[in-house]
Amino acid sequence: MRRGRAHRAAMRRARQRRRHRRRLARRPSALVRALTASALALPGLAFPAAADSPPTQAQSDYHYSRYSEDAVESKKVAAGSERNRYEIDIHQFRFETGLSDRVGFGMDITHEAMSGATPWYVTPGPRGEPVQVMTAATIDEARTDALLTGDYYLDRGKVTLTGGVSSENDYLAFNAGLGGERQFNDKNTTLSAGVAASFDRITPEDTNKYPTRPKEENKQSYDVYLAASQVLGPATIVQTSVKYQLATGFLSDPYKLAYVAGAPETDERPDLRNQVSWLTRFRHHFRAAKASLHFDYMFYADDWKMYSHTFTLAWYQTLFDRLQLVPSVRYYSQSQAEFYEPYYLVPRSDGYRSSDYRLSPYGAYEYGIKAEFPFELWSLNWALSAAYERYVSGADLALEKVDVENPGLVSYNLFTVGVTGRF
Amino acid sequence: MGRWLAFLILALAASGCAPVRPWERDALARPDMAWDPDPLGAQLGDHIHFSKEASLGGGPGGGGGCGCN
Amino acid sequence: MFPARVRMSCAAALLSVALAVPAAALEKGDRAPDFSAPGLSGGTVSLSAYRGKVVYLDFWASWCGPCAQALPAIESLRKEFAPGDFQVIAVNLDRNPALAKKFLSKRPVGYPSATDPKGALPAQFGVDSMPTSFLIDRSGVVRHVQRGFRESDLAPLREQIQKLVADKR
Repeated sequence: MRRGRAHRAAMRRARQRRRHRRRLARRPSALVRALTASALALPGLAFPAAADSPPTQAQSDYHYSRYSEDAVESKKVAAGSERNRYEIDIHQFRFETGLSDRVGFGMDITHEAMSGATPWYVTPGPRGEPVQVMTAATIDEARTDALLTGDYYLDRGKVTLTGGVSSENDYLAFNAGLGGERQFNDKNTTLSAGVAASFDRITPEDTNKYPTRPKEENKQSYDVYLAASQVLGPATIVQTSVKYQLATGFLSDPYKLAYVAGAPETDERPDLRNQVSWLTRFRHHFRAAKASLHFDYMFYADDWKMYSHTFTLAWYQTLFDRLQLVPSVRYYSQSQAEFYEPYYLVPRSDGYRSSDYRLSPYGAYEYGIKAEFPFELWSLNWALSAAYERYVSGADLALEKVDVENPGLVSYNLFTVGVTGRF
Repeated sequence: MGRWLAFLILALAASGCAPVRPWERDALARPDMAWDPDPLGAQLGDHIHFSKEASLGGGPGGGGGCGCN
Repeated sequence: MFPARVRMSCAAALLSVALAVPAAALEKGDRAPDFSAPGLSGGTVSLSAYRGKVVYLDFWASWCGPCAQALPAIESLRKEFAPGDFQVIAVNLDRNPALAKKFLSKRPVGYPSATDPKGALPAQFGVDSMPTSFLIDRSGVVRHVQRGFRESDLAPLREQIQKLVADKR
């Protein structure tokens, strides 16, 4: 509809007046303005990959990580049991590029080599306290994961398709996902939704040695998620999302046993699990400090009567306009699965049993530091990174009082080094 | 928990909640303002936590960022 | 504790998802408003100085990926059509102009860039995406609004410029 020039000019002046009033209301004090040094953005890798159009450059990342679990304390473990736990070498490789004006492509490959012992079952000790019996140490096991991602960018949105496979000596899984997002309100508001499914087949090892072990089992899981994000200010964003997952099939651990009335029995869990997680993320940039704050909170609940809280805090500090240092902390607390016990004096009427520490009540804190250093070489943009993380769990760290701690709770160190290149 | 909620509300109110214009998004375009500035690190972290804890990770979602194109 | 206007504008922004009224951008057929702004490397850049030429007015910022991608493409267009009185003017919107200067020192272009850290000009022109460019004919009327930048936008843009440059009125 054509409007007169005078009308358009009048509308423009009215908009300018409104914006000027809003701008005056938001202008920082003279002190803050004086303190604001020239905040030079990180050179080189200045454009984040997740934008509103496919990447214009190809980017490759490689990370090597060493994951090592603390040995089980001798007082918690059965005499003669292996005490050293898992050591894992992890290689992660990622590649992403734009295939056209509107199509992006990504590939993620992970390879892990594992060795060590894991918790097998829990028995009552001489004073009734739970004592962990460990498996024998495995020499080596390997896992390979591959994931492909395709993005199609619209003017105010994006559609994403993913497909992947995960394979281990005794395990094969296929997964696929479809998601989309749409921007509103001058790209200040984003709504997104997606679905995903995974089909897993487990063929446990050593079934001759352990005849009660299942020979082949299947598991399926179906996910749906909804998310909304909002720009709260020029340097503030918040996002909240809800994910629901239905898991069916074989959900027990074929390598674990539960001690029931004096004898170790196979781990038996329900063949259905409804799970919901609600995640809220907050990001704020402090211009004067040249730093950004990340805060995440997640609440989780399922129909095994488990629920958990996760708090994560990270501070992204830019130093000397080049180096980035990121200290972070995480706190986690979970309740127990309804049918979980460290060991059972009598069997349950529903036939379920598990002494897996992952279903026990406990809390954990994690702290870490990461450093990233971008630089230019041969006219390409690179970055080197190094990170260290420590995770410590304990029943006394849980939000709620826990009477009996599972002796198999894990603590670990994680070292990572990485290199990124854009070309 | 209550303190963080208060901080969130304060940030919300202080920002005025007026839409941020396309040319005012320089801070939002920063890599350290992405939901996951380190995708590989986040991927590994999610995998480890999923394997060692009982919970499910959160879903992905867009928003924020440069807003370009 | 918080003024009613803040609470209301907050609620309005959060709830007005589909009802949000977008800023009315300068459209094809509108007359481009004249402006005079300081140049990034000194001096003054004013639109009226180029009346009679075909002008490509590009709003950009160093932190905007597609804006950076557009720069060499715009420069090649400028070189191609400069003999036909085609002029490119850029308006840089970096809050800190030093960042834009540093950016241009690595990727130099042959056209002037005004600096507008406060964002008065994009507000006046109703810029609703980054980058946004206006193709203005010899009489100062907007003939095409280029929102965003993709490689596939280059060919149609070239055609439009060719037509306007050929029109000597």
